[in-house]
Parts: sequence; C-alpha cells; structure tokens
Amino acid sequence: MNVFKIAWRSIQHRGFGSWLTIVSMALGVMMVIAVLTIHGVVSQSFRSNNSFGYNIIVGARGGGLQLTLNSVYYLSKPVENIPYEYYLAFCDAETREHNIKNSIAYRAQQDIVETSTLNSPLSPGIMGLGAALSDSLLADAFEFQQFSAMKINEPGLYKRYTHTAVPLCQGDYYVDPDNGLAFRCVGTTPNFFSDLVLDIETEEKFQFSQGRCFVENGPEHGLFECVVGSIVASRCDIQLGDKIQATHGDPNSSGAHIHEQNYTVVGIVESTGTPNDRVVYLNMEGFFLMEDHAKTVEKDSVLDSNDDEATGSVDPFFDDETDDNSQEDVKAGTTDDHSDEPQPLTDEEEFQRKANATRIPLPIEQREVTSILVRTSLNDEFGVLSQFLPPLINEGDLETTLDWTPYRPERAQKAAQAVNPIVEVASLFELFVNPIRWLLLALTSMICVVSALSILVGIYNSMNQRQNEIAVMRALGANRSKVMMIMLCEAMLLALAGGMLGWIAGHGLNAALGPLVESRTGVPLSFFSFAPPVPVSVLTQGLIPESVASFGVSPEFLLVPGLMVLAVIVGIYPAISAYRTDVSKALGK
Amino acid sequence: MLKLENIKKSFVQPDKQQVPILEVPSFEIGSGEQVVLIGPSGCGKTTLLHTIAGITNPDSGKVFLDNVELTKYSEATRDRIRANKLGYVFQTFNLLPAFSAYENVLLGMTFASKKKSPQRARKLLEQVGLGHRLGNKPHQLSVGEQQRVAVARALANKPALLLADEPTANVDPANQQQIVNLIKESCEAENIALLMVTHSMEVADQFERVDRLDELNLVVSQLKTAT
Repeated sequence: MNVFKIAWRSIQHRGFGSWLTIVSMALGVMMVIAVLTIHGVVSQSFRSNNSFGYNIIVGARGGGLQLTLNSVYYLSKPVENIPYEYYLAFCDAETREHNIKNSIAYRAQQDIVETSTLNSPLSPGIMGLGAALSDSLLADAFEFQQFSAMKINEPGLYKRYTHTAVPLCQGDYYVDPDNGLAFRCVGTTPNFFSDLVLDIETEEKFQFSQGRCFVENGPEHGLFECVVGSIVASRCDIQLGDKIQATHGDPNSSGAHIHEQNYTVVGIVESTGTPNDRVVYLNMEGFFLMEDHAKTVEKDSVLDSNDDEATGSVDPFFDDETDDNSQEDVKAGTTDDHSDEPQPLTDEEEFQRKANATRIPLPIEQREVTSILVRTSLNDEFGVLSQFLPPLINEGDLETTLDWTPYRPERAQKAAQAVNPIVEVASLFELFVNPIRWLLLALTSMICVVSALSILVGIYNSMNQRQNEIAVMRALGANRSKVMMIMLCEAMLLALAGGMLGWIAGHGLNAALGPLVESRTGVPLSFFSFAPPVPVSVLTQGLIPESVASFGVSPEFLLVPGLMVLAVIVGIYPAISAYRTDVSKALGK
Repeated sequence: MLKLENIKKSFVQPDKQQVPILEVPSFEIGSGEQVVLIGPSGCGKTTLLHTIAGITNPDSGKVFLDNVELTKYSEATRDRIRANKLGYVFQTFNLLPAFSAYENVLLGMTFASKKKSPQRARKLLEQVGLGHRLGNKPHQLSVGEQQRVAVARALANKPALLLADEPTANVDPANQQQIVNLIKESCEAENIALLMVTHSMEVADQFERVDRLDELNLVVSQLKTAT
C-alpha cells in the first residue's frame, strides 16, 4: 500500500469534509477555466481574424480601431462611407473599365461624342467635307481627351501593389421576423468568397455548406442574391431559396425601415469560427439599388462646368427617357430632379420598371462603400507594402493623384484612411484586452489561492482526529518523512480531485454558455474549447529565460499542476505538524 | 533476543521538575519466550514498551534487540527496525478507521522493508476467524473482532518480538480468553517472543513467566519464572 493509497483512503474516510474541500476547489477551478477559455477563445478569435487574407483596410477617415472593428468583426456602428472610386484604385483594368463604362460621366461623354458626330453636316463639296472632317476630328479629340482622362483601359493606381481588393457596404441588418434576432448585412462582391482566404498561412478559403455564391447579375434573381453565414442560417432557420429583406439602419432605432427588395438566399457559408458566420452577405450591386443607398448626384457636378457649357449635356440617366423608368426607384428621394409630375404607371410598366430595377447596376458616381479589404501583392513577402501603403493613402495620395478626379472632382474632398488591422488589433489588445487579461489572471490566481487554502482548512481541521492515526502509523514503523509525505499527498490528491472536477465543470459551463457566447460574439464555444496557448515567458514574467520559455502552453493545462503545487505549499503546515507528532502522547489519546 | 541495561526515563513536569518514571537495571527476554509484565497503573509499563519499540528514547541505558543496540541509532533507523522486527498490539486496538480489516493488516507490512504478502494478510485474518470480514471497516466490527484484526496486523511482518499493551483491557470477558489464546498460540506457532503488559492476574496466570514492574522503586522483579 503506497502513500497515495493511504492518503486517498484518508480523504475517503473524511467523506463530507473532503467533498466540501473538493467542491469548493472545483467551483474555483470551474470559474477559472470558464474565464480563461471564454476570454482566450474570444481573444484568439480577434487575433486569428488578422490572417483573414487582407492586411489593409481602407475606409472613411476617423478612428482606425472603429474601422477595424467595423470591417473585421462587424462590431460597433458602421463608419462613414467613402466614394466607390477608391475601390477602383485597387482594381485591374478590366474591372475599372466595366465600372467606368457604367458611370454617368462616361455615358455623358459618349452622348456628347455621338451627338457631335451625328450633328456634323455631311454636305457635299470640299468645304462641306472639310467641315465634316473638322467636326469629326474635334469629336475624336474631345473623346480622346475625356476618355483618356478617365484612363478606362488602365489598372487602378494601386493595382500593382494589390493582390485582392474587396469592397464592403454596411448599414443594413437582417432581422428575423420570427425570433427578432438581428444580424448585420454586408454588401460585397463574389470576390469576398473567391479571392479572400480565411487563413493566410494555409490559404484556406470559404466553403459553402449548401448552395453557391451569389453572382453579380444572375439570370434567376438579377442583382438580388445573397448568401448567409452558418450562424445566421441555423439561428434563423434559413434555407436555400428563402426570400429575405434587409432593414435599413439600426433595427432598434426609430428611423429603421425594411427595404422592399427581396433577396433570394442562394448559399449558406460553412462555419468558419469567425464573425463572418454571423453575417448576411448581399450582392453589392443589389445593395446599391436599395432605397437610401444611392447617393444624390448633382447634375452640374457630373461633368465640370466647361463640359456643361460646351455640351449643354445633362445626366443621361436622369433625362434619358428609356432609362428614366429603370432608375426612378434608385433616384427616389435621393435627387431633386423630378420636375415633371409623375405619371401613374400601368401595371405592365410597373412590372417592367421593377424588372429593370433588378438588372441595371447603379452608376458609380452614386455608389459608396464602407470599407475596402486589401490584400497586398503576394510578392510582398516581408510585408513592406502593408507598412508602406497606409501612410501613403493617409497622407492624401489617393485624393491628389486618383485618376477619377477628372470626372468626379468634388468628391476628392472626401478623405479616406488606410489602416493595418494587425496594428489596430494589437493596439486594442495593448489598451484593452491585455489589462483585462492581467486582471482576470490576478483574479483567477486569487481564486486558486483561496481554493488551496480550503485544502489547508480541510486538513488542518482533521489534524486533531488524525494525531492518533499518525501515531499508529509511526508505531507500525512509518518514519516522520513518510507521514509527512502522506499529508502532502493528501493535499495534492484533494487539489487533483478538485482541479479535475472543476476542469470538467468549467468545460461543461463552456458548453452551456456556448450558444450564448456564439450568438453574441460569433465565436464557437464548446466543451472541447480550450484556452489558447500563452507563451511561457509571459506567464513566468522573466523568471525563466525567454530562450527557454519561448514555447506556448494553454494556461488551463497549468492550472491543475499549479494548484497541486499550491496544495503542497499549503499542505506543508499540516505535514510538519504530522512530522512533529509525539507518538507516545498521541497513542495515549 | 531483547535485553535492557540500566534504562532510565523521566518526564519533565510543567513546573520544570523532573519526575522519574522508569528505572530498569536489567531485563531480558529470550527468543520465542513469552513474558507477561504486570504492575499498577502509572508505573511505566507503556513507557517501557515504547522504549523497547524505539518510539521513545531512554534518558540513559541501552536497549538491545537481536543483539542490535537500538538506542544508538537515529530515530529513522529505529523506525525501520521497529517496522521489520516488532509487532505492536494496543490496548485501544488503534485500527485505522479509513481502512478495511484486510487493509489494516496490509498496513502492518507497508512500512517494513520486507516484501508485502497479501496472501499472508488474508491467512492471518482467517487464522483469527475473520476470513469473512476482510472488507469490513473497523466500525463494522465488534470490539473483539477489532482486537483480533489488531493482533493479525501485529503479526503481519513475522516480527521477532510482539509487544502487547493490555490487549484484553477493553475486551469483554468472553473475548478476553480468545484474544489471549490467539496471541499465545500465534507467537508459539511462529516462534515470536512476546512481552504482554496486563493488570489482569487471570491473564498473567496463563503464562509461565510473569514479571512485575513496581511503582516508585522502578525495578522489574520476577514473580514467576519459567520452569
């Protein structure tokens, strides 16, 4: 019979007292485990999102942290928007051309050129030919000047530094009509799922558990397709083919209203364990067409004053008869260019208007994005670009040199900023999370000490009764060291039992709180969620050289051994008392 | 087998006064010999047993066990010698309440350097008539049964000397004789020397050698010697 068995028998014999000690310790450990795991898993979720596959976020000037929280974690209120042209600065030539050709300015220029050409008198004779040639040349020259200023065939200014750029548009929410749960809607492009990676190391991409990604302009649902994150799908019981409507603005505010457009769910994203699971992704092209999402464009500002004088042109979208109907919905409430009294539409016209409204994208002048997620060029092995680009953009480089300024000069006044999300999250940790971590560690350490003291109290209270037992063991030949070892083993076993019970209970608490934490933070939490590893050098605070303690270990795996060490420390007193037992006296009791 | 020479032991009173409690000029027990020691209460019988067992050290004098001078060794060595060569039966049984009868007997072997023998533990309990109560805790046993377990525990290591401190004092008359017989026969069977302290002349009369430990004069005198 070894000392552990003797100690364990003693613990068993003290029955209720031992259980009280074990349970009090288990409660402490349970709290510590729950705190460490929940805090650790949530913190790690913050950190792990750094490797989402982008390293720069471009958004409206203001707090960098808010922009990061907004764009990475979908937390905090949406920030101000920036012109869509910022996004084009990161796009390739093809995307830019496609977008610019969908601009009011481009169409206006095209109209001017066409009008100039059509108006050229093709009169016979040398003079007439000369005049026609002259007008034609002038038109060509004008076209060249204007369209070359737009640089429609060139990639964006920052394209050469960019691997992927994905726009995000925020401000809408999806509110489940059945349970009232609200999830953020994000307008984006299919590139979000095809180009961004979840983990930059593994290049792991988003997967769809059901369905597919939305397309920009699909044959079935036009511009109004969406996909939902796994949590949204499960919480709101959303199936493929369901129609959902977005709510404009904070659903808790009085100004919120439900958009009339129905989005068709075409895909459910596989769980990623990130805040992305809690988002409804809308096709950005459809997002722009919803009420209050298109920015008002002053007619005079579409082209500069010279252009207006020269051509007398007006916005073709606003005045063109054929397009008027299609854009009416977009412009409603956003422009003041409704001089004519609206004519009631027939049912057929109304149907056609709605059909068109789901097919024709919004001109880029009316577009804004909340932020742009940029992954710098893959050649940027050392992360130089991610360090170099943000200051460049923050100093106003985009505003002063952007190639869109020729046709959208007034919007250059809107300033953007670029932030490195890793730096922002690091600063968040430095300012907020780290102090909390230390506070939690201090609290949990105190809980552990109190728990360990409960062992001391438990054993100490039994010492009187045990003097005789110790003396008998001594009389049977146990030396002082042996009885001391038995006492220490008893303390260690109590710590082990309490620690293990608390560890299981703590993880049970995690499992119980999992759905709540997941619904609030998007971080999955289960029985098998462990507190993420912490560098040993952080825990030892320099007591062990950093070169030795460079590896990481989950603090919860140190908890039970740590408690056992604490138990040995507090068990020394009763152990010494056992060591000093006067056998002759104690046998007489 | 056991030899005491000029053993003296005194206790210090709270008023710092030294009170002699034991003074034994010489005392010997041969191998396998069975001796009963009688004397009035407080004459130092238990202290003598503790001294022989090495639980307490005498103020002066020597204790030899199997020709080994116990008193010159450290406490740890005395503990080891005690574990290997001595068995101890207490007046109040002193079974450990957390352990079953079987475990209590095993515990008697735990601290000795000899290899533990679970078979012997079972056999001993069967010998004392408790083969069917191996798993019972002390509180589940009668007083007589508890003392029988204590005897089995004392014999567990096949000691050279068994010290029994009034083993029948707390046992009812019906069980007294059974315990005495058990101790006597077990020691005879395994050639174990026995030193039993008792104040029962009824018990003492059953042994061939009875020594008396006088109060105050503190000497051992032989009342009855083996013939």
